[in-house]
Amino acid sequence: MPEFTAAEYSAILLSLKVSLVATLLSLPFGFAAAYVMTYRQFRGKVALDVLVNLPLTLPPVVIGYVLLILLGQHGFIGLHILQPLGIKLIFTWKAAVIATAVVGFPLLVRSIRIGMESVDHGLIQAARTLGAGWFDTMLTVILPLSLRSVIAGSALMFARGLGEFGATIIVAGNIPGVTQTIPLAIYDYASSPGGDSMAMALCVVSVIISVAVLLFHEYLSHRMIRKD
Amino acid sequence: MELRVTVNKAFSPFNLTVDFTVSQARIGIFGPSGSGKSTLVSLIAGLEQPDEGIIQLNGETLFDRSINVPPEQRRIGIIFQHPHLFPHLNVRNNLLYGYKRSALENRRIDFDCLIEVLQLGPLLERGVNNLSGGEKQRVAIGRAVLSNPRLLLMDEPLSALDDTLRFQIISHLKSVCETFDIPFLFISHSLLEMRLMADQVISVAAGRILGSSTAEELARQRLGASPVGYINLLKLGLPTPAAGMFAYPWGSSRLLMSAGPSRDESMAELSSKDIMLFKKHPEAISARNLLLCTVRSLFSSGRKIGVELDCSGNTLIAEVVQDAVDELEITPGSSIYVAIKASAFRLLPG
Amino acid sequence: MMKQITMALVAVAILSLSSAVFAAEINLAVAASLKEVINELADSFAKKHPGVTFRKNYGASGALGKQIENGAPADIFVSANLAWLEYLKSRKLVDEKSIATFTYNVLVFAGKEELKVSSLEDIVKLDRIAIGSPKSVPAGEYAMAAFKKAGIDKQLAKKLVLAKDVRECLMYVDRGEVAGAFVYQTDALQVAKRVKILFTVPQEYYPRVTCPIALTITGARKADATVFMAFLKSAEAKAVLKKHGFLNN
Repeated sequence: MPEFTAAEYSAILLSLKVSLVATLLSLPFGFAAAYVMTYRQFRGKVALDVLVNLPLTLPPVVIGYVLLILLGQHGFIGLHILQPLGIKLIFTWKAAVIATAVVGFPLLVRSIRIGMESVDHGLIQAARTLGAGWFDTMLTVILPLSLRSVIAGSALMFARGLGEFGATIIVAGNIPGVTQTIPLAIYDYASSPGGDSMAMALCVVSVIISVAVLLFHEYLSHRMIRKD
Repeated sequence: MELRVTVNKAFSPFNLTVDFTVSQARIGIFGPSGSGKSTLVSLIAGLEQPDEGIIQLNGETLFDRSINVPPEQRRIGIIFQHPHLFPHLNVRNNLLYGYKRSALENRRIDFDCLIEVLQLGPLLERGVNNLSGGEKQRVAIGRAVLSNPRLLLMDEPLSALDDTLRFQIISHLKSVCETFDIPFLFISHSLLEMRLMADQVISVAAGRILGSSTAEELARQRLGASPVGYINLLKLGLPTPAAGMFAYPWGSSRLLMSAGPSRDESMAELSSKDIMLFKKHPEAISARNLLLCTVRSLFSSGRKIGVELDCSGNTLIAEVVQDAVDELEITPGSSIYVAIKASAFRLLPG
Repeated sequence: MMKQITMALVAVAILSLSSAVFAAEINLAVAASLKEVINELADSFAKKHPGVTFRKNYGASGALGKQIENGAPADIFVSANLAWLEYLKSRKLVDEKSIATFTYNVLVFAGKEELKVSSLEDIVKLDRIAIGSPKSVPAGEYAMAAFKKAGIDKQLAKKLVLAKDVRECLMYVDRGEVAGAFVYQTDALQVAKRVKILFTVPQEYYPRVTCPIALTITGARKADATVFMAFLKSAEAKAVLKKHGFLNN
């Protein structure tokens, strides 16, 4: 097993950081999207459904490219919003977070929707007649009862984020110490003759982290069942 | 309390079209399954919206062309067929869910008093998922009452319970609403439940109102059509054993029944079909109950004639055919002998 | 009827197989920085030798070396540094006798015209700089060597965007996502319209950029590949190289 240098540790930490931030940032939006899609009827609902699920079917490179076009120096958002505010996103870890968030978002929403749909409608009706408005009901009834699916979705999104490559490399670039996450580091080593053992070592680390995440998710789920 | 409901709503397979105003405290809505009763409940509570119409409670408009008060602001509680208790909260927190959300000036139900009336004391700290059916429904009742509603809608609250439980819950419902002075709308397809709970009953079928009457009148009207005839409900005192059966005090009279014994004062059912009438005293008869009664009135229902009898101050309704009326010369004021077998009675549980 | 169809199918099969053996297709593995010049040379060779076709694979020298090691078809390997050729030589994948120096190149720093940098020391003031990934792109390796020699490698630590080859570096500059990139003089000249060479990296800071060339073991057995190899070493080829900005000595 080859020795990890600072570059590799930095890649591992960066992967964890980017995935974690992307997941946490996406949670409120994912929950809101799932709520609207489960409980509200409105024109254009199908369009929202398609939009939310789109990243699931698009190649990540396409997503990365689209983000680059939008957020880059000459992009619509880049030119009119980011530059005037002095915000630079491309080739920063923030871009990596955005790419990871976009790619993983549909997984989060799907999971939460399944949880929400399984909440007994009678409970929601009861809450409304007991004086809880829609927001109150969402917070005190729907959220606690779909919490398990929120956690499952988050774990799934986090794990997917750890493996994010295509969109990340386009929009965040391969900057060691700044945006070089584990998959990018593996790619770097894999393109290099003689880099196989290091690439494999990083793969092993990747697998270990994913297994840890999944085990943690199982543990949390069981704890929640016991509390019932 | 005054409730005015004039609404149209399309719901398959009918259209619900109703127009009524009620002002008593104990109203029943009676009709078969699928007649639109539950839809009506949803509309009054605000969980669904009518296609058009007006809903007003105590003069306040809850729904019309331009107003639609959301359910959480209507202060109308519902007790559903299934308890719908929040599984992630314990009994206490379920009970207090509505209470915490009611405005301070509206809180008039006393928590401890309610716990007492519904006997929920020992359950308070427990989770709700392992409670028995009856316990769950009692918590549901408590929770709805504690939200301090102006009106309580009970949508078939007893249909999912077995017989014994049903009558226990009825007594809880009545005592709670009486104690705390809460007007209610009791919805059911059971005439018996209706007679025990409601004073005024609105009958509905296929989305339309058939009529309004007292529960008693309704029962009499249905004597001819019902397979069990008219069910007499008899209030009984504590029984004593007698010749292998039980002797129950009934008003100033006495009935011998094979059913029993009950530990408290109880109620018994007796079908109008199980009462035989004799013009003259039938010297020897196997039926162990033989009473001399006076005919108060006669009424027709379908092809049967209902005979209202006065038995030492108690009321009994028997049914006969017109032929028998003519033959026995049954007229108001005439005396008649009433025979009932000891096995014809059915004690109400609880 | 069936017998005739079968005969026809067999004949077609034999013909197509033999065309694979006898068809003069030369597989080239070429470092990205040599893409245009090899294209031109291949085209002019093909004109003089009808029947010869080329299959070209471009990329970073390291990536190409890896592919050849894993069995990718290649008859001639044109690398941007000696190390990757040595790598294949040590694995006995190239014909040792055929190894020769093809040409030389020079490292420059290229960026938009308005940028005010004129030496390595000025670089540290910039926000983002693109270089090829040192693990697989020789140009990136040379750049890192220069940074170390000049003592600025630590200061540049978080500013370096690693690209998969020199072309990608230039793309980043063109988009404006980086201030500039370290590329070969020949690459910068390619896109001279939009990107300017701001300064040449002094040769003392990095090893000479030597582009070796060699036949692979499979290539050595192909007559056409050997002829093309000789062509690449000819005076005519050297003239084309010079035209593209390469150094012949």
